[in-house]
Amino acid sequence: MDKFAALEPVKLYNAPTPVSSKFPRFSIHHKPPAPFQLVGRLPVDIHILILTYAAIPDIPSLSRISRAYSNLCKDERVWEARWLHLASGNTHLASVLDDLENRTKTQNAVRKSSLPPTLSLDGAADDDFGDFTSVNAPPDEMGDFVGAFSTAVITSPTNTSFTPQSAFRTRYIRAHNLLKTLIPALSSPTYTVLTALFPAPEPSLSHQAHTLRLLSTFLSHKVKPVRAWEKLSAAIRAASDRFDDGLLTAFDTCDSKNDEEGMKQAAQASWDVWDGSSGHWELARAWADKREIFYDQTKWHGLDNFTNNEQLDFDAMDAFMSHVLDALREHGTRAVRVFPPEANVLLSFSDRLANEVVAEYLSPLLDRAREASTELFLKAIAASFKESWRMVDVILEVSKARPEAEVSRTRAEDVIFKMFESNMDEYLDEEVEVLKQAFEVTCRTWEKTLSDRPAIPTSAPDQARFLGSHNPAQVKRTVLASFTDVLLLPVTIVPKTTVAVGKAFGAALTTGGNAAVQGISMLNPQRWGATSATPNDKNGYISSTSGSTLFEIGDDGDDDESPTFEKSHKRLQSSVTSTASISTVATTTQSTSNRSLSVSSASTRATTPVASASASQITFDKFDLLLSLDTALELIHADRESLKRVETFAGYPGHYGHRVRDTIEEIFVLCLQALGERHIKVGFERAIEQMRAYRPADHEETSSVAPLMQFFELVHVGDTMQSMVQVYFDKELSSHIDRTDFLNSVVREKKRFEDTLDDSVAGGLNAGTDALMSQVEHIILKLTKPREYYPADDAAMDLGPSQGCTESIKCLQMHCQLLKGSTSKEVLEVFYQEIGLRLIAILQKHIKRQIISLNGGFQVIADLNAYHAFITSLKIPTIISDFSYLKMLGHVYVVEDAKDLAQIVRDVTRYGGAYRPEDIYEFIQRRSDWKKIEKTVDKAIVVGHKSSAAASIQIELCVPAASSISFSNHHLDTYILADMAPTEFSLRLQHGITGGFAPPTPNAVFTVTGAPSLSFLQVTTSLRPSGTPSLQDALPKEVVVDDNNRKLVDELYNILKSIPTESPPGSEDIYGLDTSIAFGSEDLQWMNGGPSGCGGGTSEVQATDGDKTKFRRAVDIVKELVGHEGDLH
Amino acid sequence: MVLLVTSDNEQFVVDKEVAERSVLIKNMLEDVGESDQPIPLPNVSSSVLKKVLEYCEHHRGEPLPTADSEQNQDDSRKRTTDINEWDQKFITVDQEMLFEIILAANYLDIKPLLDVGCKTVANMIKGKTPEEIRKLFNIVNDFTPEEEAQIKKENEWAEDR
Repeated sequence: MDKFAALEPVKLYNAPTPVSSKFPRFSIHHKPPAPFQLVGRLPVDIHILILTYAAIPDIPSLSRISRAYSNLCKDERVWEARWLHLASGNTHLASVLDDLENRTKTQNAVRKSSLPPTLSLDGAADDDFGDFTSVNAPPDEMGDFVGAFSTAVITSPTNTSFTPQSAFRTRYIRAHNLLKTLIPALSSPTYTVLTALFPAPEPSLSHQAHTLRLLSTFLSHKVKPVRAWEKLSAAIRAASDRFDDGLLTAFDTCDSKNDEEGMKQAAQASWDVWDGSSGHWELARAWADKREIFYDQTKWHGLDNFTNNEQLDFDAMDAFMSHVLDALREHGTRAVRVFPPEANVLLSFSDRLANEVVAEYLSPLLDRAREASTELFLKAIAASFKESWRMVDVILEVSKARPEAEVSRTRAEDVIFKMFESNMDEYLDEEVEVLKQAFEVTCRTWEKTLSDRPAIPTSAPDQARFLGSHNPAQVKRTVLASFTDVLLLPVTIVPKTTVAVGKAFGAALTTGGNAAVQGISMLNPQRWGATSATPNDKNGYISSTSGSTLFEIGDDGDDDESPTFEKSHKRLQSSVTSTASISTVATTTQSTSNRSLSVSSASTRATTPVASASASQITFDKFDLLLSLDTALELIHADRESLKRVETFAGYPGHYGHRVRDTIEEIFVLCLQALGERHIKVGFERAIEQMRAYRPADHEETSSVAPLMQFFELVHVGDTMQSMVQVYFDKELSSHIDRTDFLNSVVREKKRFEDTLDDSVAGGLNAGTDALMSQVEHIILKLTKPREYYPADDAAMDLGPSQGCTESIKCLQMHCQLLKGSTSKEVLEVFYQEIGLRLIAILQKHIKRQIISLNGGFQVIADLNAYHAFITSLKIPTIISDFSYLKMLGHVYVVEDAKDLAQIVRDVTRYGGAYRPEDIYEFIQRRSDWKKIEKTVDKAIVVGHKSSAAASIQIELCVPAASSISFSNHHLDTYILADMAPTEFSLRLQHGITGGFAPPTPNAVFTVTGAPSLSFLQVTTSLRPSGTPSLQDALPKEVVVDDNNRKLVDELYNILKSIPTESPPGSEDIYGLDTSIAFGSEDLQWMNGGPSGCGGGTSEVQATDGDKTKFRRAVDIVKELVGHEGDLH
Repeated sequence: MVLLVTSDNEQFVVDKEVAERSVLIKNMLEDVGESDQPIPLPNVSSSVLKKVLEYCEHHRGEPLPTADSEQNQDDSRKRTTDINEWDQKFITVDQEMLFEIILAANYLDIKPLLDVGCKTVANMIKGKTPEEIRKLFNIVNDFTPEEEAQIKKENEWAEDR
């Protein structure tokens, strides 16, 4: 007992060992035992865990088990969990406890003064002793001193930031003791619990609420402060409910009295006592239940939004929404003022409003629309979404009434997004489906019109064309400018009527749509043609546009009487001003129409001159427009409408956001597919087919190829379409996708679309070139008179080009001209080049068909000059040079002396490689005096080439593939003395081919390559200087082909043909020179020494001495060819 | 599938998903990677592992508890009973087995099972005298009577009166 008496209270926080007294005063932190140290049969960690779950009343028993265990009972980890549980969700914990403490103290003071001192639990918490400890305090009051003392610690202002390590147990003990004083009150009958808990004078409502809340957390399974916690927990719950009921009544009373302050207090208290367990907060729910907006739905009918003719007119919804918004504004503002901001009553109220009122309103509307038509459904859903969206702004506006209650935009938007979510799947699916169908219908309609059209239309000037205008590029620009304007027209999502005008001018959506269609359709050149075809009523043109666009409803009775532009415009103005106050949407509609009108009239003005110009153009028969800008515009317009509708939903977050974006992309992709695959490709295919079927001989007219004309027109139209798609893409889609993302499906599809168009154009150009060139050939054949180039001696010399020549050039010129401006420069160049190459072939063939006299030679030159001039105008360098050689070729027909002629034939450089001697030889055979000079020429050539060089002429004749004329070349056979080496060969000599098991180390490698197109041999030499391990590369050099080395190659060729190679390859060096030769040409593949040198085997074939001599000669020849001197070693 | 070998050399083949209820085994598999190597569990006997695996099998597919998820705390606050019905039945075993399960759960790092075990022990302690608890935990009293009396005083605040 003496030991006990000496204890200071401080020590109570420490282990009962004397050592612990050395610890700082408030540190009850023990050196924690190692986690895996066993206490009894379990490790420390597990004991701690068990203690955390143990009930508080068991703690005394547990502490008494052993010294170690009593330390464990004080471990902070045990108490941390409990304290945190109390603290979580009880933001007012500190204030409630302080309050309780003060109350207890005053009560005790009162009681103490009236009652004799007792050893009651509360007694020791008395002010007299509370903050002081005394060594001679009565032992049985010790426990309470602990409580009192810890109280002092916690409430002392210097200690507001606790040392967390030491605090949890102390803090818990304080809370425990304070809260325990309230527990007896809970045992009283339910209806008196509250009075017992909060005896008069009643503390504030919020204090009561906080206390109740704290008690209910205290009496939970996580704390288990007393044995009977479960029963008490039920009691506190009942008390809380009772308390809440009271608040509800108070709230209602205040509500009816419009006492916002009272409402606010009741609401705050109710919110504080609510533990979030029942899912929704009763008070707010009850309040919302009383709002009449939820019950007056009979006044509003979703079906009012349909006009009599099953169209949409959202005026009704507009009014309805205004009503809803008014209610939202009124009640929302109050909710924000009255309810605690954390409760988010505004949002839940809006949520309810959206789901129970707006959604209810919409469901019959959408059902009806769905029944009527899918398209109507799509329009209705987009429109109603847009309308409902107005709630978002109001929510935000209302929430601003109290700064701390401000709602983030996302959360406000979520209200509407959530409400619409149930419709989204269906909507997005339908949108794509409908669009597909619409595209299909549009394409079908076009195809049908196409096939219905008479096979051979009359040559009426019914089509204005790019080709017909003086400046196709200008026309295209005009079209695109108008198109861009049209794209700027807003698509009306919410169809509404303008009340001010008095009567409806039709559902604005349809009207707006029509306006756009009309506006767009004015872009179609065909229409311009139609206009210019009936030039008498330009007024009617305008009136029909404006009439149908804006005032088609006959409410005024006079608008079919050709109102002038100004008149309708004036009316428009008035309607704009009168409707300015209605709503922004309506105004937009107005300005839409306004714009479309001016656009269409602008396009009229801009295009009229073009159209009239086209009327005066020549007409073409069999002209069939296979692509329609009209169709393209319709497609794009339908697509755009869809796109705009989906765009309404573009803000959707999460899963549906992805779907919306996917749908946007899909919509564009579909448009491209329809336009590319269904329209452009098909059109071009037909055009190509027609071009293929074109037979020049069937047509009288010679200057133009009709299908080609048509094709060029198509190219122009296609190009315009592509530009339109580009504009559409830039304007409408670029905001939704990343244009640089080449993996994006839209970007890919667009690329594919462009490729399709390019391919079509390329394919068409191919066929077109065929058609054009066969036409040209046809012209030349037909117009060249039999003796065009062999005129009678007495005929007058007229040194102009022949008729066939002029006509064909005219034909070519015209078509080349037409294509300008419709395709890229590259395509054009390729086209020109192709024309040039084919023209050369045709001309060569043509010349070879003629008999040409000296006089006629001048005619030939004149013609060739004319062709050359034409080609020069195309400005393609490669074919220009080809034609200048061709021009020079004409000279062979005016040279009189046979020897000079032979000189020309032999001169390889003369034609820059374009014509070989053998080609020239062929041309000179067409001379009318050939029979006379043949021998002289041949002799001169042979002399010039020495004996064997004539072989150069023997090379296969260059006959144009398409030529039907066969040449006789029997006379050349006489010159053949021995086998000639082909002009194309490769030769490789390697010295150093024998090796053991390791591959041989070459000492020298020579290669020689000859090609017919080259006038030299390519030679490389690489040598290994003795003593070094590897070959050094020598630079390749060129050896001019002369008679000498030509002879050498021939000799080599013949030697190799006659000597054997070892068998199997690579087995043995049968020539013993340690040298291999590989020769490759078209008809001879010869190689000794195997692919990688010879091993030590024996060949089945052995070389004779003669063969060896020959081989040695072959090696020498190669050395001579490459210019190597000295032996190889 | 994972092969587990107990202290008494018995082999258990279990689904990876089941075995991974044990954070110890999960981490081990993550470190070692897929292999057919048996995993030795020298601290667990076959009878206990059988029981533990029964628990893991029943709770397979449930999300593993994270270190500090606020959500879990909220959930458990709302729950009125400490231990759910199946677990309650599962843990109704003799004392010996209960401690073995706790030790195994601790070793294998299966937090939910450890919690269930500890809660059960806490329930067992309820209302017991210190002497009874000593017996339960196999702990020897090393207090002097004075010390014990002092401790008793010290904890009087917690007593249910």
